[in-house]
Amino acid sequence: MLVAMSETLTTNEYTDDLRYEVFNREFMPHIDSMYNFAFRLTMDEDDANDLVQDTYLKAFRFISSFEQGTNAKAWLFRILKNSFINDYRKKSKEPSKVDYQEVETTYNSEEASDTTYTVDLRADAVQELIGDEVANALNALPVDFRTVIILCDIEGFTYEEMAKILDIPIGTVRSRLHRARNLLKEKLKSYAASMGYDS
Amino acid sequence: MNASITPSVTEGAQQPIMKHTCEHHAECMKIIQAILDDEASEAEKNHFRENMDKCIPCIEAYRLEKCIKDSLNMKIEKKPCPQSIMDKIISKINS
Repeated sequence: MLVAMSETLTTNEYTDDLRYEVFNREFMPHIDSMYNFAFRLTMDEDDANDLVQDTYLKAFRFISSFEQGTNAKAWLFRILKNSFINDYRKKSKEPSKVDYQEVETTYNSEEASDTTYTVDLRADAVQELIGDEVANALNALPVDFRTVIILCDIEGFTYEEMAKILDIPIGTVRSRLHRARNLLKEKLKSYAASMGYDS
Repeated sequence: MNASITPSVTEGAQQPIMKHTCEHHAECMKIIQAILDDEASEAEKNHFRENMDKCIPCIEAYRLEKCIKDSLNMKIEKKPCPQSIMDKIISKINS
């Protein structure tokens, strides 16, 4: 019965049996979503495998800080996202940090241009695109913009859940999502044009 | 095309006058996204109800945003986590 109590961050009492039970019942059902999130963040199968494995092992180790009855999927996504930032983003070849800051600064400083900002893209053109083309457009976004779209549109998290996963205020979730979607429309537009769907 | 952008109205009701430009389109874009995300406030929902049946740029924007959101959700391939990874996790937590 000597579980590592030193790792207990809150007062949740977990017996050994309960740790396994909660892990299997609350955490394992989300493994496919977690794998896809990891893959879309790292864009590399081996990294995605490692990231999912690391996240689940961390989740088990720190299970006593998971409050039963709260949103396990959001809790797991938060750990995965933090592991990605701490362990994978550094070694990633993608210069995401620079790109992201550059883009966010550009958009922030041009709040006024937002008022006239529209991308000339038709719904019919988007309808013609196949899944891989949509995925490529999404993957072409800087990682922080990609992340909010994945969380909202693919995984269906609420703004409040996203704010917790990303450790940012809800207002920032909203504005980042809005900017991410404008960028995505530009990418989709060039895809649609290159495929001749938008002529 | 006109049929699809003109909302159905009850018999006898007046056809709304369609707007071809939107003077607050940037704000409307934010509202449209909040509506589609099911995150709109009451004020945003009211604005949406009052404007969406008579503003062509907003109707088209709504169609586009919805189409993109649906494409992201339904068209992008979702892969299952490899069984080998699940096996590794289970064996490590049991060791």
